[in-house]
Order: sequence, then structure tokens, then C-alpha cells
Amino acid sequence: MTHNNKLLLNRRRMSLGALALAGGLVTTRYGRAATGKGTAVLGIDADPPTLNLGTTTDFAAGDVSAKILEGLVWLDPQYNPKPSLATAWTVTPDGKTYRFTLRKGVKWHDGRDFTSADVKFSLLEIIGKLHPRAAPVFKNLGIEVDAPDAGTVVVKLQKPYAPFLSQMTVFDAPILPRHLYEGSNVGANPANQKPIGTGPFKLAEWKRGASIKLVRNDQYWDGDKPFLESIIFQVIPQAANRVPALQAGEIDELLDFYTPKPEVPRILADKSLAPRRGVNIPAVYFMMFNTQSPLFAKKDARHALAFAIDRQRLVKQVMNGIARPGAGAFGDGFKWLFNEDVGYAKKFPLDAARAKALLAKAGVTPGTTTVRMPFDVSRAQMRAQSQIIQDNLRQIGLEVKLEPLERSVYYDRVFAKKDFDLTLGSYFSAGDPAIGYTRLYNTYTGTAPNTNASGYANAKVDELLSQAATATERDTRARLYKELQVILNEDLPTLVLFDEETVDTATKKLTGMFPALDARDQWAGVKRLD
Amino acid sequence: MPSFILRRLLHAIPLLLAVVVLNFLLIAFTPGDPITLLVGDFPAPPEYLEQMRREFGLDQPIWVQLLRYLGKVVQGDFGYSFANQQPVATLILERLGATLELTLTALAFASVLGIAFGIVAARSASRPGRSLADSAIQGASSAGYAIPDFWLGQLLILVFAIGLGWFPSQGNNPVRGVSPGWEGFVEHLRYLVLPAFALSLRYLTLITRITRAAMLEVMGSDFILASRARGANEWTVVVVHALRNAAAPVLTVIGYNVGFVLAGSALIEAVFAWPGIGRLLYESISKRDYPVMLAILLMVSATVVIANLLTDILHRLIDPRIERS
Repeated sequence: MTHNNKLLLNRRRMSLGALALAGGLVTTRYGRAATGKGTAVLGIDADPPTLNLGTTTDFAAGDVSAKILEGLVWLDPQYNPKPSLATAWTVTPDGKTYRFTLRKGVKWHDGRDFTSADVKFSLLEIIGKLHPRAAPVFKNLGIEVDAPDAGTVVVKLQKPYAPFLSQMTVFDAPILPRHLYEGSNVGANPANQKPIGTGPFKLAEWKRGASIKLVRNDQYWDGDKPFLESIIFQVIPQAANRVPALQAGEIDELLDFYTPKPEVPRILADKSLAPRRGVNIPAVYFMMFNTQSPLFAKKDARHALAFAIDRQRLVKQVMNGIARPGAGAFGDGFKWLFNEDVGYAKKFPLDAARAKALLAKAGVTPGTTTVRMPFDVSRAQMRAQSQIIQDNLRQIGLEVKLEPLERSVYYDRVFAKKDFDLTLGSYFSAGDPAIGYTRLYNTYTGTAPNTNASGYANAKVDELLSQAATATERDTRARLYKELQVILNEDLPTLVLFDEETVDTATKKLTGMFPALDARDQWAGVKRLD
Repeated sequence: MPSFILRRLLHAIPLLLAVVVLNFLLIAFTPGDPITLLVGDFPAPPEYLEQMRREFGLDQPIWVQLLRYLGKVVQGDFGYSFANQQPVATLILERLGATLELTLTALAFASVLGIAFGIVAARSASRPGRSLADSAIQGASSAGYAIPDFWLGQLLILVFAIGLGWFPSQGNNPVRGVSPGWEGFVEHLRYLVLPAFALSLRYLTLITRITRAAMLEVMGSDFILASRARGANEWTVVVVHALRNAAAPVLTVIGYNVGFVLAGSALIEAVFAWPGIGRLLYESISKRDYPVMLAILLMVSATVVIANLLTDILHRLIDPRIERS
């Protein structure tokens, strides 16, 4: 299937005046603006550990690096891959071979030419080995990369993988300069701190603990873009100071990731701000049961809690209404896969009496049992949730001992030692359930954090998850995920509490904001009005 | 005097060594793994985690890690920060200036105002029937001493940055660009006011109380009466005679609090997003960034040792009786 022609037609219809077309086709016709105009100041929470996006999934690192580096594609809000460093691609019918045509005339920030050798090197030597999210996937797929000529890359997978193109974005597969990384220790390469990319902005200055300044890449491939002269990231470590800074005009943009939920109503009420609200890239908040613990090994006990926990109240009090109550094993963020027939709304309505009865069936005499719930204390949402859950469960005669732990201790307790009864967490889908949600339910016996620590192991589930990841047709995948919900909503190793909604906010002085699925992506088209 | 300084410096060596070893062991036995924090929110394959551990030398037994670390520190190499992927020395040097500026400003502010308030309070208290100023200063200093500085910092931000908009709430310079010359300097000072005040209040009140007590004692001495009898003016009596004799305990308090101010800057820098080493310490603790934590703790310890030494030297210069005894 060829995406290129259709995409070009769509873009041509949309393009206005100086907006350049994909592929750099009209660069010469419209000429090049001498400079960009204006500065945008973006709030971030901390200095990124590195700006080599090939080796981290750190949010702030992605925020900064996505303006400097590029992937082969980017995703629009409907999850459609759009051309970035690749102008076109074809996929063989078996879903195992991807052929990318690369953009011509692209230069690295240091003036070198970008070629297929950079793509091959990045995918095999950096992403395939060091990217925390993509490396395990690449390894599992056994990918081979071939560069038959300077403008073409062929990627072969041992088995098909539905979200493969979704993972070819800058966040999961940034293309890095081979000439700076080849033969070096990637982890200690100075380019990690002073990145050279092909993107619309170049790193100018990094004042640690204070700010990171990017300036316009005058050699950028996309016509007159970028329109801004510079982007400055301001580090604001205190969460409580970020929304005031946005309202005072000290910063121009604040993404949901950095925004404390209790402050969202202030953002929504502020006329000078333009928030983008909704389920963007789904993420679920959940309570995981330790199915190896004496009590929660019993399905009745797990079901009891599903009847007892007031998910509506969690949404209202924890998230200020900026969320949707948990609807099933994968939430309902991905509309296409949600199985309403077995959804929590039907299966587990709020019902304390049934909860008590089930708990009694599981052998619990009210007021005699205490369960432990460790959670990551650095996350305000977890603190708030834990108290509501404690209150809900007290009403059915089950005491919860809250154990707020520092993140590294929490990882050790829950994921390495599995020493818990209940725990709270949230997993980000990264745009596809196969990328982000498989880890909630697949059999896992290791000690890595952010995995399935529930001890739940079901070969049928593993098989269905694997099929859902490799099926290429959306309908087939939907059927598989719906089947999974039938099993998982019944077995309930993990109770999904709510689907996060996000509120990404920018001042109205910036236009062209948030064209991509990921709010950190595609800043070349952002303009400043004042 | 030189032999005294040398002796004190030699004493400092085992002390600093003990600080390094103790801190190293404390951190090593704290639960938590820096590598799991480093890789982010997706499960990394175990072989990748192992590779990272090897790279940072975390796969070695504790005592090997400790000996390696000591060997490096002696050569002035403070290691490599996991969380920032930079040499620790570079990280600290980049931020040292901001912390020195904040802590020295706070100390200077606390010292000057503290001594002034102490003198006013003592004079007021030493005159029967006119102790209103003394009561006010005593009351305010008790309250000031009791306020936790990070809480005060947040309160100051709410009132003066968000409410009134007089001062910026965070950072040490405008990010959109610093104006050149005098204007830029004034702009920069506006960033300094709130954090420096929040950091200094506790020490200001402490110095006020110590100065007041020391001055009261001296003001009752015979030589003060004598100088008054000679007809010396009030300035000469209070500043030249009384303050000089009351200076020793005040100086001690200031000197011994240098370490506390430096340590206190960790929270104040976190509250005000001041890009100094205090905040670096705060962040490195939550990220289990051992090399950075160790280096900053060592630096603070060394500063305390040096400040104490300087205090002792000054003490001897002000009061020759100490040297003779």
C-alpha cells in the first residue's frame, strides 16, 4: 500500500500560501524566509538526563529533542503516519517488509548530508540496542535493515507487527547522525548533551537547572518553516509554580504531563489560554492485585473490590473531572477495541452490598483483615487515589495500610520483590495498546519496573496479546482485544480505575499548536502572533 | 598561629574521610536502584540494565566501589552523574556560582540586619521603661525562628510573586534573555530578593538574639560605664566599645551556621527553582544519583570545616586572650 500520493493530495488541499508541501517540493517556489519571528517559552519539570532520544523515554527529553531530531514519520491526531524524514513507504502484503523512500537534500545541523546510512545505523545500533521501549520490540521482531541506496531503507521483520509505523516516530525511533556516533560509546557521547539533528531547531545553549535554548535551523528542509526564531524551555521544578507562570505569561506552553490536576480548572477558565483537552494518547490508571497473595489469589476478593471502589469519585476528586471512569481491561481510550458488553459499567457497578457478600465468600470477616498498598509517593494522583480507595474498602470491612514509598523503593518493593497486596500505577499506551498495555497482562517473571507484577499468568492471554500485536488489519485486532477483555475483565488481575484525559495548554499568542498526536511533536509550523 | 592552622587542617583530613565513607555506606544501604529510575517508564530488558550497571561500576561489591571512589576523589575526580550523564565536577562547577550568590547574600543580610536589630534590642532593654523596641524585636525573632524556610518561601511566592506580582516566582534570570548592563543587574536582583530573604530569616533572628544577649552582658560592664563617664558619645560606646567586646559569640554563631545556610539552600533552591547545587542535591537524592550526592555532601562538609577554621582564626584575632590560654 502506498500512502504517499494520497497524503500529498490531502496536504496540497490543506496548504495555504507560504505553508510548504511535504517533500520539499515547493521550497524553491516560495523561497526561504531569512529568519523566524519570536520566541516561545515552554515549561518543563526538570533537566532532561540526555538529549539522545534514542536511549531514553524521559518526557522532558522527548519534549526538547523532538524539536531537534526527527523520525521517519510523525503521527497526526488520528494516528495516521505522516512523512517526516521518509517521504513515502510501502508495506508488503504479509506485513513483514517496509520500504522507506527518504527525503532528499536534508542536512544535519553540522552541514553533513543525511542518508540511508544514518537510518540504518540509528535503527540497528542505537534504537535496536538502547531504546528502553523500542529495543525489546525490535529484538522480538528480529529486524533487519538494509540501505540499498542513499535514499532508500528497507526494514524486514521476522513477523508482522501492527504498530511498527507508529513506532517510527521521533520518540521511539529518532534518526541520529551516524558520523558522530559510529564507533563511540553511545552512553557517553558528547552529542547526547549537544545533539545534532535534522529537525527545525538547533540547540543553542543549555543552562542546567534553568533553561535550554533552541534556535531556528535556517537550513530546514520544509519551505519557510520553522516560523519561530527560538524556543526556550524553562525548568520549573515546583509543580505548584507552573500554572501561575503560564497565567502570568512567563511561559507560553505547559503540557498536561507537567500540569498539576487541581490547577486545570484555572487553565480552563483563563481566556488568554487555548487548552487542548481530551483523550489524546490513552493512558490508564489502575490498581494491581497481587494474585499470589493469600487473599487476592481468590477471584471473589478481586471482584469484591471492583464493586466497592467508586471510580466516579476517583475521577471527580483525584482528577478534577479530567478523566473517564475505568471501563475495562484496556480502558476506553482506544474506541475501536473497547468491548462494552463486558465493560465494568455492566459487570461491576458500584455496589457495597455485593462487595461485602463476595468478600465474605472469599473468607474475610469484616474488620479482621488488613491489606498493604504501596505506591509511588512522588505522584500526587496516587496519594489522592489511595485515600479514597482506603475509605471505600473500609466501608466493606477491609482495612488498607497505605505505604507511600519513594519511587526507587516502590519499584524495588512492588516489581522486584513483589511484596504487596494492592498497588497503584499508570501505564501510558504510547499510541497503541500493543506498545503500552501488553505489559499490564502478559506473563512476566522478571524484576523490571512498569511490568505485570500481579503474578497473573495466562497462556491464552499471552497468545491473544501476541496475535493482537502482529495482526495487521484493524478489524482483526479489535476482535482479538475484545476477546481479551472477556477474559481479563473476569479474571481481573488488575482493575483499571480511570482513563486519563489530558489538557495541553498554550497561550493564544501561539498559532499552529498541537498538529500532532503527541503535543511535543511538530513545532516547525508554530507561529507567534505578537 | 601558623602551627594552629596546620594542626586544624591535619585534623580535617580524617574527618572528611569519615564523612565520605559514612555517606557512601549510608547511600549504598538505602533501598532503590538508580538504573531503574534512569531507564524511564517502560520495562527495559534485563541485559540492558546489566550493561548499564557495568558501565557505572554498580555491578561490583560495595567495598570495591568504595575503594574505587576514594581513589578517584583523591585525584579530584568526583565521578560521573547517572542522571545527568555528565562529570559530577562539571555539574557542580556550573551551579556553584548561583549557590554562593544566594547563600552569601542571605548570610550577609542576616548578619548585618541581625547585628543591627540585636544592638537596638539590647539598648532598648538596658534602659528601664523603654523596652518596647526590645519586646517587638524579641517577639518577631521568636516567630521568625520558628517559621520553616521552605514554607516561608512558598508563602512569599504566593504573596509577592503571584498575588502582587512584585518579584518573579522562580529562576535567577529572565529566560527570554538578560538585558545588558545595569538594567540586567537590577533585573537579576529582583530574582534574588525572595529566595535570599526566605533563606536568611532563620539566621537573621538567631543572630539578633545572640547579639542582643552578648550586648546586654557587655553593656552592664564597668568599662562601658567608664567610657560613658568619660563623656564618649553613644556611637563610640555602643559600636566601638560594646560591639567589639560582644563580637566573639556573634561571630561564632555566624561561622557555625555557614554549613546550615548551605544545607538550607537545598530546599529554598527547590522552592524558587534557583539553579544551584542545593537543588542539584535535592534532585539527585530523588534520582538516587549517588556520585552527585556524595560530591555535594563532601563539599558541604569541607565548607563547614573551613568555615569553622576561619571562625576560630577570627576569634583569636578579635580576642587575644584565647591564643594566650
